Amino acid sequence: MKLQKNITAATTEIFETMIMLDITAGDPVLERTNNFKCSVSGIIGFAGTCKGILAIHLPEKVAMSITGSFLGMEVTEVDDDVTDAIGELANMVAGNIKMVLDEAGKNVTLSIPSCVHGDEYTLDTAADCERVVIPFNLESGQFLVELQVKTD
Amino acid sequence: MENNLQQQIVDATRAVFDTMLMVPVMSGAALADKVYLFKDSISGMLGFSGDVQGMLTFHCPQRVAFDITGQLLGMEVDSIDEDVKDTIGEMANMILGGIKDAFLEQGTNISLAIPTVMTGRSYQVKTVDYASWTTVPFYLDDGEFLVELKLKTFDQ
Repeated sequence: MKLQKNITAATTEIFETMIMLDITAGDPVLERTNNFKCSVSGIIGFAGTCKGILAIHLPEKVAMSITGSFLGMEVTEVDDDVTDAIGELANMVAGNIKMVLDEAGKNVTLSIPSCVHGDEYTLDTAADCERVVIPFNLESGQFLVELQVKTD
Repeated sequence: MENNLQQQIVDATRAVFDTMLMVPVMSGAALADKVYLFKDSISGMLGFSGDVQGMLTFHCPQRVAFDITGQLLGMEVDSIDEDVKDTIGEMANMILGGIKDAFLEQGTNISLAIPTVMTGRSYQVKTVDYASWTTVPFYLDDGEFLVELKLKTFDQ
């Protein structure tokens, strides 16, 4: 429950202050979402007193519209600008969640972001984690923010 | 630092293959070019942070992943299932574990995130510009794989 609130707050703030696009959070996705088609995923790990990953999964169309808004230009293909922007987006959302975790007495630091792009790919993580996936809707479609946390 | 990283990748990867898989592995020279595009492959990716931040990725063709998984678990493997994904995630974990120990000997402390495994017919993996890349190819009897270590080079 708390993770859900943190993801929503962190993601909404980044979109309001950095991307300048309106987004609406939906209910957590309960079914397994590990298979992506014509999509872009930004992924960043974190470690410290708890560890895990944050991933953002977007259809190509949504990734292009967010990049366009972020960079203030028209984007018509998934190029380096898009993969850079989506990696950076994961970095910014994770940075916000890190602050919340730190305030809650955890101490985590972020790894570096990676960006995956492909016509069809799957992404899986170790099963023994607390996992929350929140969908966000915007004009160009929907994207998912996934947070997985393992507490030692 | 570059040569040193390459040697640490080679040592850690060899140690895993020697002790866990009991399979000889040959390393090649670090690649001059970055490799982004992977076809019919599987990649295990593991981030780390601490005194330095970065990401270790183990990339291999699916066929090679079947061999590695089969060897580790002592069974025939011919499709990408949970066993294969777990094994490739664990390869990243074990290799980075070795590199972490080597870093610690030099006074650099890192902690590991959790591994992610991606697979597909064709996918690209990119990272930010402010990272150095060291990619070392390794050769088995029946194929090759890459171990890639990316380090953040300056504070953003």
